[in-house]
Amino acid sequence: MLIKYRAILRMKFVEMFSYQLSTMVWMFGTMVQPLITMMVWMNIYPDQGDTFVLYFIALIVVERLTSAWDVWEMDRQIREGTFSYQIVRPFHPVHWAIAENIVYKGLFLVVLLPCWIVLSFFIPSLQLHLPASGWGLFLAALLLGAIIRFAFSYMFGILGFWMTKVTAVYAMFETVSLFISGRIAPFSLLPPVVKQISTFLPYRYMIGFPLEILTGAADTRTLLTGFAGSFIWAVLLIGAIVWLWKAGLKKNQAVGG
Amino acid sequence: MRRYARIFKEFFRTCLVEELEYRSEFVGNLFSSLFGILVSILMVQIFFYQTDELGGWAYADVLILLGIYNTLQGLVDFALRPNMPRLLLHIRMGTLDYVLTKPVDSMFFVSLRHLVFWRLIDVLLGMGLVIYGLLQKHFMPSMLDVGFFFISIMAALLIIYSLWMLLMTTAFWVIRMDDLSFLFNSFFETARFPVTMYKGWLRIALTYVVPAALITFTPASSLIGQWNVRATFAAVIAAVVFFWLARRFWRFALANYTSASS
Repeated sequence: MLIKYRAILRMKFVEMFSYQLSTMVWMFGTMVQPLITMMVWMNIYPDQGDTFVLYFIALIVVERLTSAWDVWEMDRQIREGTFSYQIVRPFHPVHWAIAENIVYKGLFLVVLLPCWIVLSFFIPSLQLHLPASGWGLFLAALLLGAIIRFAFSYMFGILGFWMTKVTAVYAMFETVSLFISGRIAPFSLLPPVVKQISTFLPYRYMIGFPLEILTGAADTRTLLTGFAGSFIWAVLLIGAIVWLWKAGLKKNQAVGG
Repeated sequence: MRRYARIFKEFFRTCLVEELEYRSEFVGNLFSSLFGILVSILMVQIFFYQTDELGGWAYADVLILLGIYNTLQGLVDFALRPNMPRLLLHIRMGTLDYVLTKPVDSMFFVSLRHLVFWRLIDVLLGMGLVIYGLLQKHFMPSMLDVGFFFISIMAALLIIYSLWMLLMTTAFWVIRMDDLSFLFNSFFETARFPVTMYKGWLRIALTYVVPAALITFTPASSLIGQWNVRATFAAVIAAVVFFWLARRFWRFALANYTSASS
C-alpha cells in the first residue's frame, strides 16, 4: 500500500509541474475574492483592521489547503468516458485523487508559508501567538476540514454516474457555503439565524472552524461542538462515498466503450 | 459601421436558431441566474447587517451598482465568453486562416461570432435590480443624469471589450483558456463594490491601472445624480486608450501568428 502510494505520489508530482502556470494562476486568482471581502470589512470596522487582516490572510491559506476540485475532474472524465480506465485499475480511483490532493496542497503550503512569514515581518498582526496545543487543535481541525471538503466534492463526483449536471449542483452548494463557511464574514459577524444553521451543515467545518482556532476566537464550547460536528460529517460523508461508489459502479455504463 | 451592424444581426440570428434547439434548458438556466443574483443581494445584506453605508454608499445605492455589475457580467457571458474557447480551437487547429481570409475584420469576427442567449436573463435581472434600487431610493434620475449614465456605460462596455480582447489575444501564446477567463473574473470581481471603499494606492490602481472603477462606479454614480464631468471624461479617454491597445495587440499577435496547418 505504502509503496503504491509512493509511486502515484511521484507520478502526480511530475504531472503537476507540467501545469505550473495554470496552478499559479489559480492559486493567486483565488486570493482576490477574500481580499475584496477583507476590504469591505475593514471599511465597515476601520478600528479592527488587524483582526480582519489576520482572518482573511489565514482564510486564503486555509481555503487553499482544503480546496477540492475532484467533482470537476470526475464529471469531465465520466462524460468523456475516460473514467473507465480508472475503474479497471486495480487500485481504487479515490487513492489517485487523494495523492493528487496531497501533492497540490503540499505545493500550496510550500509557496504560501514563506509568503506568510515574509508578510508577518511587515504586518505585525500576522505574527501568531498560539500555544502548542492550539497548533495541534488547528492542524487536527484543518485535516478534518480538508477531508470533509474532499469527501463532499468526491461524493458529488460519484453522483455524476446518475446525473449529467452534477457540477452545476455542486457550484450551487459552493455558493451557499460562501455564507456559512466563513468566507464572506467571520463567524461572529453573521446574523444569529445563519450561525445556528451553520452548526448543522458541513461547510463551517471545512474552513470557518479551523480559522476560529487559528485566530483564537474559539472557546471550549465551540471547540467541543466543532470537533464533534467535523467528526460526524467526516464519517457520514466517507460512508456516503463508500455506499454510492458500490451503487454507482452497477449503474455506470461507460461512454464510447 | 452599418455593414458590421448587419453582420452582427446575422450572427445574432444564426445563434438564436441554434439556441432554440435546446429550449428545455431554459428553466434550469433561468433558475441558476435567479439564484446568482439572489446570492449577490444576500452578500450585500450580510455586510449591511453590520453597517448602513459602504464607502459612503447606502444600501439602495449599492444595489444599483450591483445591478449594473450584473448587467455587464451578463453581457460578457452573452457575447464575449462563448468566443474564448473557439479562438483557442481556431489557433490550435489552424482554422484561424479561414477567419483571416474572410472579408470582415478578424477581431470583430473572433470576438462576437458566438452568442449565448440565455445569458441575457442576467442582463434583464441586472436592469431590474437597478430599477428596484432606484425605487428603494425614491429617486427619479433627471435627463442629465441619464445622459451621463449613457456616456459612461458606453465607455464601460468598450473598456470591458478591450480588456477582454487583450486577455483573449494572449491565447496565441498561452493555451489554457479556463485560466484566462478566470483571471478576468478575478479582476471583474473588484468592480462589485463602490470604489470609494478601497483605500490609498489600491483605489488609484483600480481607477487608472485596471479601470474597475470606471466600469461600474462611474455609471452608477451618474445614475444616482452624483455625476462628475471629469470622471466621465476620464472614462471615455480610458475606453479609447484601452481599445487602441487591444487593437494594436491583436495586430501584433496576428503578425506573429504562423498557421498550424502549413
